[in-house]
Amino acid sequence: SGELYCSLPNPRNVHFESINMKNVLHWSAPEGTGDGVLYKVKYSVYGVGRWIRKPECRNINSTWCDLSNETSDYEDQYYASVKAFLNGMCSDWMETTRFNPLTDTKIGPPMVNVSSTEKSISIILTAPEKWKRSPEEESVSLLQVYPGLQYNVSVLNKKTKKRWWFSVSNNTLVVPWLEPGTAYCVSAQIHVTTPLLYSGFSKEYCIATLRDK
Amino acid sequence: SVTEIRSGFTAIKANIQARDTIRTLSILSHPHSLHKVKPLDRCCITHQLFNFYVDKVFKHCKTEDSFVNRKISSIANSFLSVKRKLGQCHEQNKCLCGQESAEKFKQILANYEGLNVTSAAIKSLGELDILLDWIEKS
Repeated sequence: SGELYCSLPNPRNVHFESINMKNVLHWSAPEGTGDGVLYKVKYSVYGVGRWIRKPECRNINSTWCDLSNETSDYEDQYYASVKAFLNGMCSDWMETTRFNPLTDTKIGPPMVNVSSTEKSISIILTAPEKWKRSPEEESVSLLQVYPGLQYNVSVLNKKTKKRWWFSVSNNTLVVPWLEPGTAYCVSAQIHVTTPLLYSGFSKEYCIATLRDK
Repeated sequence: SVTEIRSGFTAIKANIQARDTIRTLSILSHPHSLHKVKPLDRCCITHQLFNFYVDKVFKHCKTEDSFVNRKISSIANSFLSVKRKLGQCHEQNKCLCGQESAEKFKQILANYEGLNVTSAAIKSLGELDILLDWIEKS
């Protein structure tokens, strides 16, 4: 392909950043280069090996490239590579380590819905969806991807500051024997046992139990 | 157990996979993915794969890194105990091998024997996440 003489310093720290299997390639500019550096990106499926160029990430000046579409089959593993160009010079291709979407993605926190009665609160938990190409595409919950997915739930009595912890596999939890007319705050986290993955905690959702009639 | 194997492998995954520079070939996932195996054949292929790792792979995975070597031997010990349990299933005819699983395993051996033994062993070790992802899927 008529490669130029490649003496430009290499892009650094080429790696995938993945959340809910939205897989974006990131890198840092070559050392000592200011503005004007352009990049091109290619990727390959491990075990198939043919490098495939990503046209939308050809001659770009940003230091990221969304490869979610190309790496959406999480039963495969992938490599990606970046090359830099500046003033007629180029760098070497710099590769990622092997990327396994199933084990290397970060999981977002669950959605939390709370409702209350006089002496209990009901919590409905929803796992995030896997990244999808378009809104019209059928949604796939991460629950389908990780059958061993569980929820760690924290319930805080705002008055007494007493906190309870629950670990549940299904997506509903009823916390009974609570004090009427009291505010409780709920936060939840996803825990996949294998491969071992934790999401961050959701923000707190507070609700008051109804007052005694 | 499988969880111990997974955590042991996670600790050395980057190191082992970096030693495997052959991108164009996979032992377990191409040309036929483990994920296409029928439920009926799962037990037999799992049994064969555990035998394969114990008999052929681990003994050729010596590295210059003592931490990595320790992790490899602990993974190998976990494989041995799982292999024994699978062996009991096999003896009680609960793990029957059909034509498809024989073909599948033959393909895996062909992939393995297509490389020199050290490269093949390191590549197989580096693909433990593929094996574990498949085992844990159901």
